[in-house]
Amino acid sequence: MTVFLCENGFDGILSGVYDVYASRLGIDNCRLELADGYEPELFCDVREVPREREKAKKVAETVRRRMSEEACLRLYRASLHKSPARADAILRFIALGLGCGSRILRMLQEKAVYEIFRMDRAVANEAHSLVEFARFERLRSGLYYGMIGPENDVIELVAGHFADRFPDTDWLLCDEVRRKAALHSHGGALVIHAGIEKERIEALRAEKAGDPYTDLWKTFFRTIAIEERRNPKCQQNMLPLRYRKYITEFQ
Amino acid sequence: MIIQENLDLKRKLEILTDAAKYDVACTSSGVSRGGKRGYVGNTEAAGICHSFSADGRCISLLKILYTNQCIYDCKYCVNRVSNDVVRTAFTPEEVCTLTMEFYRRNYIEGLFLSSGILYSADHTMEQIYRAIRDLRTVHRFRGYIHVKAIPGTDPALIEKIGYLADRMSVNLELPTAESLKRLCPGKSREKILLPMRGIQCGIAANRNELAVYRNAPRFVPAGQSTQMIVGATPENDFQMIRTAEALYRNFDLKRVFYSAYIPTVPDKELPAPAGGPPLLREHRLYQADWLLRFYGFEADELLSAERPNFNVLLDPKCDWAVRHLERFPVEAMTAEYDTLLRVPGLGVRSARRIVAARRHGKLDFADLKRFGVVLKRAAYFLTCGGRTYFPFRFEENFITDCLIGDERRNAWEISHGTAFRQLSLFDDMKLEAEPDRTDAKKALFGEL
Ligand code: SF4
Repeated sequence: MTVFLCENGFDGILSGVYDVYASRLGIDNCRLELADGYEPELFCDVREVPREREKAKKVAETVRRRMSEEACLRLYRASLHKSPARADAILRFIALGLGCGSRILRMLQEKAVYEIFRMDRAVANEAHSLVEFARFERLRSGLYYGMIGPENDVIELVAGHFADRFPDTDWLLCDEVRRKAALHSHGGALVIHAGIEKERIEALRAEKAGDPYTDLWKTFFRTIAIEERRNPKCQQNMLPLRYRKYITEFQ
Repeated sequence: MIIQENLDLKRKLEILTDAAKYDVACTSSGVSRGGKRGYVGNTEAAGICHSFSADGRCISLLKILYTNQCIYDCKYCVNRVSNDVVRTAFTPEEVCTLTMEFYRRNYIEGLFLSSGILYSADHTMEQIYRAIRDLRTVHRFRGYIHVKAIPGTDPALIEKIGYLADRMSVNLELPTAESLKRLCPGKSREKILLPMRGIQCGIAANRNELAVYRNAPRFVPAGQSTQMIVGATPENDFQMIRTAEALYRNFDLKRVFYSAYIPTVPDKELPAPAGGPPLLREHRLYQADWLLRFYGFEADELLSAERPNFNVLLDPKCDWAVRHLERFPVEAMTAEYDTLLRVPGLGVRSARRIVAARRHGKLDFADLKRFGVVLKRAAYFLTCGGRTYFPFRFEENFITDCLIGDERRNAWEISHGTAFRQLSLFDDMKLEAEPDRTDAKKALFGEL
């Protein structure tokens, strides 16, 4: 068994897929793992794969051409999933898809397809939940600032939604867990920054207090509930506790 | 009636939210509009929920009344003229400010503006028109707006509003003309249906216009909806869903909402339900409504004059299926899509997945489960590769008992307000393919 160790992210994983094929070892004799967090095993030949834009691009184009645009998009979203097995799942899906073409997305009974389907759905659902539950506060500087703590690496997906919605606003959306942030300027530019320092995040948080609309919103939130229909269990199912830490009306 | 003019914004918001909360509609679905430089906002066809209040209901829009003053005296309504409550009104600027500031913070998808009647229908709707005109033009708002039309308003004014709003609604309130007459002096069935018809015609005319001129302004693009109160009057379930069906067919409504009656002002004409609001009944009506809209059922198939109310212990789809065992079991590998849709435990999405996947190879029950089929129920009505999931006696009483055992707890919890209502509402129906995100959201959690 040969283990290929690739870098994080869609490009990193697709570079790995490229090298697996280039090695001509046969797909069944290879495994694709993320270098980050990989535990060395006995009797395995290990090869590191650096991320290379060109290789990744070639693989993505092949997926688009032989399977579909939709298949490529699903793989992209699956690459944002938290599972350590995501790289290998992407490899297996591509291996199967090269044989069967565009009908692959309908072949849910295949494990390789179902795995991608499952990850894609988890990522898409979480991104959607954050489109719903992310909150902004207006800082004194006029910047709208929001913080999230997602399980999967969904900030690009979420930020894309807000860039369309608030094209002329300065806003910052920060992933506290990965210390990444999406910064949007009123000119329309959207940039993802990685490796933000903890202190910086703390400082932003401190600057937050004092937005008068948080209080008005809490008033609305409290008043809109009908006492006779009170149902905390239902509320909790719809709005899981793990999101509430970041939601204005639950502070 | 004392009108409080000088309340601060917070107090006004409190009063006018409290008075608006009994309206159930809070969806932001039905129109997809991308963002644009120079504007604020976009909309998503499936709608977006932003929060869930303590009663478990979705919050998608800033749902407020323009004013809680009213010249009418509808018996079930907190705002009725004879009720002694503090009255106030927003100004158009206040409505705009709240909407924009809440929207920028991602609290809401937009505004749902409704109102009591101040002086006259026209006067009130004129204020509402100003508020949303300013929202669209001065504040460049491209998010969602739902406006409630007051019966009796000048059609020309409704038309102007329709070009600014995404959705409009006129509440039917009560399912029969007699009940309406008894509880709402000043309203009549005709008066309510008139603006509903007007909006319907406006939408139809606009559709033709859009076919010719792609950039023509859009009229009520997310369609219209209505609401009926459940349990304030003696109508049975059959009457309720027959009315709903007629509204869908004859008025092209997007949604009919059902609202369990909550006694707010005691009146001799009104019941005082001992067990709290009729939540289970409301729940069954929603389930049946779904069957009408997405599953190809007709009201007459579900209920009849002899059997006018839904089964407390079985959801309407299971109830129908056990009474039609001659049509079951159906075979997952070969049954038509429409036939699959009628199998309890199968929804729009899982049925579609089965149809897509079976072309590429055999399926087994484990596959079906992964596609989202609820085998607990489907097992009694479905074969896969010629076999049932487990052996059982194919006989009405036996199957009914099995299904009821499962549903009993659900039913109890719903009527006692402790259930995760939306889950059990959609659990059986698997509605992720349903285009309304604000509803589909609720289906997500029971999934797989
Ligand atoms: S017209 Fe509307 S606000 Fe006025 S009393 Fe009747 S239901 Fe209430």
